[in-house]
Amino acid sequence: MKSILTLLCCFFCVAISHSQDRYLTKSGAINFYSKAPMEDITADNNQVLSIVDAATGKMAISILMKSFLFEKALMQEHFNENYVESDKYPKATFKGDILNFDDISETKTKKQVKGILTIHGVSNEITIDANFTKTDEAILVDGNFIIEIDQYNIKIPAVVAKNIAKKIKVSFDFNHKPYKK
Amino acid sequence: MNRKKVVITVLILGMLGAFLAYTMYNKPHVDVAETTADISITANTLLNEFSTDETTANVKYLDKIVAVKGDISAIKIEKAKGIITLKTNDDFGSILCHLSEASTQKISDLKEGQTITVKGICTGFLMDVVLVKSEIIN
Repeated sequence: MKSILTLLCCFFCVAISHSQDRYLTKSGAINFYSKAPMEDITADNNQVLSIVDAATGKMAISILMKSFLFEKALMQEHFNENYVESDKYPKATFKGDILNFDDISETKTKKQVKGILTIHGVSNEITIDANFTKTDEAILVDGNFIIEIDQYNIKIPAVVAKNIAKKIKVSFDFNHKPYKK
Repeated sequence: MNRKKVVITVLILGMLGAFLAYTMYNKPHVDVAETTADISITANTLLNEFSTDETTANVKYLDKIVAVKGDISAIKIEKAKGIITLKTNDDFGSILCHLSEASTQKISDLKEGQTITVKGICTGFLMDVVLVKSEIIN
């Protein structure tokens, strides 16, 4: 009986220490920016879910496509219906590893994150630069990178080719807090 | 005389076309505050539907204006925007309501534990069901 109790205690401790390693945000920010000759288009999403495992340096991000808000309703409609087809592919995801994760600290350091980005049902391996800051109560991650939309099988009709850039700049800003449950 | 008429007609049609294109381009966003909710539901039922069958729930709720009734479990302001979390029976999931600017102003009247109804556009399910542009309607 005693041994079972000890065992349970051990499991419990492991579970606790494990949960303390997880840092999470449910309100991460992602912005994308398309610069084209006819117009500049930008959209914001402030409901991004991002999880960092501080023990292993793994990172997982989930994005709702419908959460991207545009200045103009028509742009948002075209984005959802014609380009990313968000009824068919409601989420974009990223799963990857932060390279050389061990030495992140309270001073902002640039790290590379390597992983699989899935948008519009198409997965590509990417490596992006991001700035990491770790304090006792938070892991901050920010940076930006370029997405080439034809790599994700997103087709832009010739009529609006001058309105939408082939390369989209994506900026992100996550403030992860320790996950307690 | 006849040519003049044709020119005027073409001109008017052209102007009408340009005007239509312009209004289309500047079509306003849905005004959540002024629109009646498509669906009224409790926080528990909404989360339950998403966690049991996300695909069906997506079809039913995405892009819809949903009025959700529940108890407030957390209130916070991030980047000048209010975020209200509605409690559910589920240990992990909740309803995450991102408020409009107008409703963020009213956030100081709210208390944790209070039962309220929030109306917003449902954008989907991650760990929680997400509502954006939400209004507090009590």
